[in-house]
Amino acid sequence: MLERALNVFWIFLGAAAAAYAWTLGLIGPSGPESGLFPLIAALIVMGAGIALLFSSPVVPELPRGAALLRVAGVVGGLAFMALALPHAGFAVTGALAMVILVRTAGDSSWVEAILLALASVAVVMWLFGQVLGMALPRGPWGW
Amino acid sequence: MDPLAGLLSGFAVILTPQNLYLCLIGSVIGTLVGVLPGVGPLAALALLLPVTFTLPPVGGMVMLCSIFYGAMYGGSTTSVLLNIPGEAASVVTCIDGHQMARQGRAGAALGIAAIGSFIAGTIGVVIMTFFAPLIAAVAIRFGPPENFGLMVLGLVCTLFMISGSAVKGVLMVALGFLVAAVGIDVVNGRERFTFGSVNLSGGIELLSVVIGLFGLTEVFSNVEQRLKTTVVAERVTGLWPSLADWRASWRPMLRGSGLGFLLGLVPGGGPVTASFMSYALEKRIARDPQRFGKGAIEGVAGPESANNAAVAGSLIPVLSLGIPGNPVTALLLGALIIQGIQPGPLFMTQRPDLFWGIVAGMYVGNVFLLLLNLPLVGVWAQLLRIPYRVLFPVVLLLCVVGAYSANKNVFDLWVMLAFGIGGYALRKLEYDLAPFVIAFVLAPLLEQSLRQSLVMSPDGAMILLQRPVTALLLAASAVLAALMLRRKSSPKGGGGS
Repeated sequence: MLERALNVFWIFLGAAAAAYAWTLGLIGPSGPESGLFPLIAALIVMGAGIALLFSSPVVPELPRGAALLRVAGVVGGLAFMALALPHAGFAVTGALAMVILVRTAGDSSWVEAILLALASVAVVMWLFGQVLGMALPRGPWGW
Repeated sequence: MDPLAGLLSGFAVILTPQNLYLCLIGSVIGTLVGVLPGVGPLAALALLLPVTFTLPPVGGMVMLCSIFYGAMYGGSTTSVLLNIPGEAASVVTCIDGHQMARQGRAGAALGIAAIGSFIAGTIGVVIMTFFAPLIAAVAIRFGPPENFGLMVLGLVCTLFMISGSAVKGVLMVALGFLVAAVGIDVVNGRERFTFGSVNLSGGIELLSVVIGLFGLTEVFSNVEQRLKTTVVAERVTGLWPSLADWRASWRPMLRGSGLGFLLGLVPGGGPVTASFMSYALEKRIARDPQRFGKGAIEGVAGPESANNAAVAGSLIPVLSLGIPGNPVTALLLGALIIQGIQPGPLFMTQRPDLFWGIVAGMYVGNVFLLLLNLPLVGVWAQLLRIPYRVLFPVVLLLCVVGAYSANKNVFDLWVMLAFGIGGYALRKLEYDLAPFVIAFVLAPLLEQSLRQSLVMSPDGAMILLQRPVTALLLAASAVLAALMLRRKSSPKGGGGS
């Protein structure tokens, strides 16, 4: 079922991309235009989607229960980081996200999770911020 | 430039304190990612790519290459001691390597793996020294149509070698082209697939794509299965192989070196295929194949040599033709392009310091790796005590910093997350992700070659058939494609490197 839905998605994606590429132009007076290459790629996506629709689908082993929660925890932690990073800076966001990640996915105690989060963030900030001179996002408090 | 003179100039470039230090750092990191299950060389390269932006090109590339072949050395440690491959090219080493460990011969297995890796790595680099300039000398005469044909052949070879459904591979290639088309068309400045978004006008960032597809998906899979690496590694002794071990191993090492190098040259080949093919070869020609799977040292010596020789082989197409054969070399190509360097036939003449510096760096790196992996194998084994629940938060933080650092833009984090989730789902559905990355990196070059070919031809696309070399390359691609499509689309194994 999941794969069938994905194959239909490929067909629609290919068709939409091909239609869009067509509007960019294919061949102009000075040679090939911007749409030619994407059009070819889009048509291949669409064609492959149609071909896959007629092949036997794979039944994926999807995560369930605790395994699904662990994966969702990692996705949630990263999404939180992407949302909060511009506002709270790397140090605070990283530490909070790490606690979420370690608690949900790593099965650690609260104390261990907090210590691990602080240590990870400190190491990464030292390595990238100090040693390599990379500007990591800062919060309103300046760090 | 004469290869020997070039190599000497390369040593002059590499034998500086800074470059030696970077080569050593790369070797250490490579061994580390090879040893630690759940962190592959591709993810490590993607995470460390931003670091090289602040380094001189030679030092940065030498470090990245050291990580690539260092991972091949380190991967055998977990295979032998834990029966868990540190990275994909060491999967086959588990079979006999771990059996040897169970028989109390872990030292001999690790010793022969390290020595075999060193011998094969050195043989591979020696062949590369003389072979790469020859290829570049031929390819320098190529124009856009020939380059187009070459890239098409490379992509078809990649598809031919992938695991699983060929149609899914073709779809991944086309999808890679489509995603790479997002942004501003460099030929006429027109925006494509940006939908008015400022974030998309710069294109989709390679680092975010690779970190998402290979770093995050690996973490998702490991977290789902609750990967545990808490293992008490026994003290490893007797690393120097006995005379009997040498007698049994030297031929597999040489065969593995040759086979690995050849398979490395083929797009889609690379270390993983080389190690499996070497194992199959050794088992097939053995007088007593029933020993395989029960601790045959040939089953360690051959594959471990093959995967290291394949690294040298796989660097030749990328450095001399600008065509990556696997995701790791695609990333190396991306690293060079980010530095403003265009690999290809002219690379050797335009940047001899960089080309020969990389080659010389591989000689030096092999020596570092032998020193790191033989006497210090016990130290690496102790690292296996680090539990994955400690490791993965650090990996995730590195993913975030790596994706963010390219453009200092949070949008790239969303791209990384989207590709991570997408890659995880696609792996579940048995899509191989390698063709996507190779196509994504090659797409701008392929499109440019196609457009230049069409512009220079009064007969449109017929130029691709009128030029003999292009016609030959496209005919070879068509034959391979036909063979591939005839194969039953029986999906096996997911994506990966």
